[in-house]
Amino acid sequence: MNESYHSRYMLVIMKNLNLLTVLYIAVIMAYGLSGYIQENTAVDFLTKIYQIPIVAWKIPVLVICLYGSCLLLLYIQNLSNFGLFLKVCLELGICFCLSYVIGFSYSGVVLLILADVMRYFPKSKWKIPFAVFIILFYLLLDYNLLSVHFKITPIDSYLEYYQNNIRSILLGIKNVLSSLNMLIFLVYIILLVRIQLSEKKRILELNKKLNDANEELKQANIRLEEYAEESAQTIKVMERNRLAREIHDTLGHALTGIITGIEACTTLMDVAPEATKEQLKAIAEVARQGVTDVRRSVKALRPDALEKLDLEKALTQMVYEMQCATSAEILYQCTTSLNGFNEDEENIIYRIVQESITNSIRHGKAKQIQIKIEREYNILKIHIEDNGAGCQNIQKGFGLHHMEERLNLLGGNLKCKGEKGFIVETQIPIRWGTEEKNND
Amino acid sequence: MEHIKNKKNIITGIICALLLICTCLIYTDAYKSFTAYGNKKVTIGVFSDSYWEVQNGYSYQILEDAIKIFEEKYPNVKIEYVSGILKEDYTEWLSEQLLSGNAPDIFFVLSEDFNDFAEIGALKDLEVLIEQDKEFHREKFYSSAYEYGQYNETQYALPYECAPKLMFVNKTILDREGLKIPNNEWDWNEFYKICEKVTKDTNGNGIINQFGVIGYTWKEAFESNGVKLFDQRGKECFLADKNVEPALIFIEKLTELNSGYNITTKDFDLGNVVFQPMSFSEYRAYKPYPLSIKKYSSFEWECIPMPSGPHGENISTLDTLCIAMNKNTKSTQYAWELMKILTCNTQIQSEIFNYSEGVSVLEEVTKSDKTLQHLIEESGNSNSLNLEILSDAVEHAVVAPRFRIYDEAIEEVDKAVNSIIDGNSNIRMEQIIWNRKINKFLKK
Repeated sequence: MNESYHSRYMLVIMKNLNLLTVLYIAVIMAYGLSGYIQENTAVDFLTKIYQIPIVAWKIPVLVICLYGSCLLLLYIQNLSNFGLFLKVCLELGICFCLSYVIGFSYSGVVLLILADVMRYFPKSKWKIPFAVFIILFYLLLDYNLLSVHFKITPIDSYLEYYQNNIRSILLGIKNVLSSLNMLIFLVYIILLVRIQLSEKKRILELNKKLNDANEELKQANIRLEEYAEESAQTIKVMERNRLAREIHDTLGHALTGIITGIEACTTLMDVAPEATKEQLKAIAEVARQGVTDVRRSVKALRPDALEKLDLEKALTQMVYEMQCATSAEILYQCTTSLNGFNEDEENIIYRIVQESITNSIRHGKAKQIQIKIEREYNILKIHIEDNGAGCQNIQKGFGLHHMEERLNLLGGNLKCKGEKGFIVETQIPIRWGTEEKNND
Repeated sequence: MEHIKNKKNIITGIICALLLICTCLIYTDAYKSFTAYGNKKVTIGVFSDSYWEVQNGYSYQILEDAIKIFEEKYPNVKIEYVSGILKEDYTEWLSEQLLSGNAPDIFFVLSEDFNDFAEIGALKDLEVLIEQDKEFHREKFYSSAYEYGQYNETQYALPYECAPKLMFVNKTILDREGLKIPNNEWDWNEFYKICEKVTKDTNGNGIINQFGVIGYTWKEAFESNGVKLFDQRGKECFLADKNVEPALIFIEKLTELNSGYNITTKDFDLGNVVFQPMSFSEYRAYKPYPLSIKKYSSFEWECIPMPSGPHGENISTLDTLCIAMNKNTKSTQYAWELMKILTCNTQIQSEIFNYSEGVSVLEEVTKSDKTLQHLIEESGNSNSLNLEILSDAVEHAVVAPRFRIYDEAIEEVDKAVNSIIDGNSNIRMEQIIWNRKINKFLKK
């Protein structure tokens, strides 16, 4: 963002300006001090001061070292709140030492620290206490305040070495630098506030967009519901139409045939009883055909025997039907109650048995099929064995594969053996408690 | 990313810590001990001529002897000093050394510099060293001389040599006037009477040409009347004290005797004045032959204690030359040993009587027969000096309070006293007014 770039730029300016200021002060102090020594007026200086000063060459060196370490600390980022607090304390400590070296004549470095802290956590709740703490420190770091309790040599004593007009210029430059630092700090803070404001604005805008999208979504949902309703209605109508067509096609057709036939019989009965008999036979055939059609229709409408029978009966009926329909002998043996299974479990058991029988007859050409359903503790075991051709390399087709998948869903397993006839063994864990076991 | 940032932080932190350690090393001068390792030496700041404003040829004799003793004890430690610095340049030289951080480990402190140096923290607090050193006995020193090295009730320096202020008496005039030399317990009455008697016109030209006293100021009067002018820290002045008024009146009376004639020290040198307060060092400098010829040849003279006021004793001030230790010395223990040799060693201290004009700060040395013998030999007159007088004068001397603007405060008091004596108004009232003014000055 443009403003954030500006604020970072301001911070860099502040860092450089502070370096310039402290170095400037250090150099004029050091020069003044060595001037006293060179001109043999050290006694005059000593009688004016309250503490033995730092040796001249050390002042700029110490200032550079301290300011450098302060900058390095500013460079450390990504700290926890406690770490940040520690960092700020250390920075302020260094700042105090720095101010001490230059006779507490300049404390602008504290503003730099404050600016840096403001940058790091614009949203934290610790921002205000930190800022207050640093500002207090800034206010207290003043020569006039500190000199009440501590012996400090004022910078003026060093500057008295210079001639009056030069001293005024030197002090003026110092004040300009100090004011400039303050000004840049203010601009920096204003930029920071503006960044925060624009950030807030952006968030508000985003929020609004989100709300709008939400509203649209709601509308779409309502429309979807309406559509679903409509669609269900359409299906109902279609189904009705289909039913109507079925009835018309099957029952209607048959009944029409029967009525026409019976009417013909009524006319024919006295004239030609033999022909009437033939006719009645034909009518019966039509009626039978009609019944078959009705059955087919009903079957198409109602998918499974399971839907209206319980599992046990459904299985028995299926076995019976298959036996009637084919020449195979099917032995069905169930030693446990099959009540209490869920619909999905029932479905699977039913499908397994159905699929296995179909497989035995279709692929194995089996003459005899044995079906055994038993329970061992809480595992239901289904054992289906035939005397058919079997299969050396079992390649699970769609049927077996589908079965296995569904079994896995229930936590059961499926084993197939094809060497001697075909054997399917499944195990299904029973979910419905142990009270049934006691009954068994 | 996070990991890299943490690593960066740690490296930055380490560099920062190293920089701070460097800063500490530079600030405390600790780096010097790396370069000077194994090269033990103690430097001492000293001036070449005598502290007592008298030329003698033995400027470094005592110091050299002390160094010899020290080097016998610590053969691997070298002692260095810069020679050739005159006393008048010494303060400037020492100040420059202090400002440039090259000040010697121990140095002599002139009494006028002591307050400034102690105030700015150039001197090391000796209390801990004194407490730890079992061989150091402060009782051996004259208490007044010992107190001379104190600032704000802390010992910052040890006395090296001292000289009390004594009253010089022109015996020739007294003999001529038929008066006896006053004894050691004389008081203001006696003092005034003698002055009154001798103040006259001897050659009959109508102008007084023989006087009682010169150089006896309010300072001496206050001291001998038990006036304590300031508190120890220089925060308060006691000019309104009840003992001040008699002293002022006495000074006024003494001044009136001269009828407006302004006496100079030349009058004393010519033998026209009976009394002059002078430092004992001057006695020692000019009493021996042939120096006595040079300065006071026309009369016989003697020294006795100062006269006592109605509320005080026969006491006066003491001037003391001290030795202090640099606060930033790197070889405290050796410096302390050398300081002790210079101040507490009886052999070195007795050399003060041989090679200097002061008095030893050790009671044992000053009172010894050897010293007496030496002084008698020096003056050529066994009656001239009673050692008891000297020792008493030193022991009971007044030590002025130590604070930084002491000299300025004394100037203020001087102004006040002159104004009170010259004025005609009520002394008591004036005292209170001036006292308030000076207190204001002190608080500034």
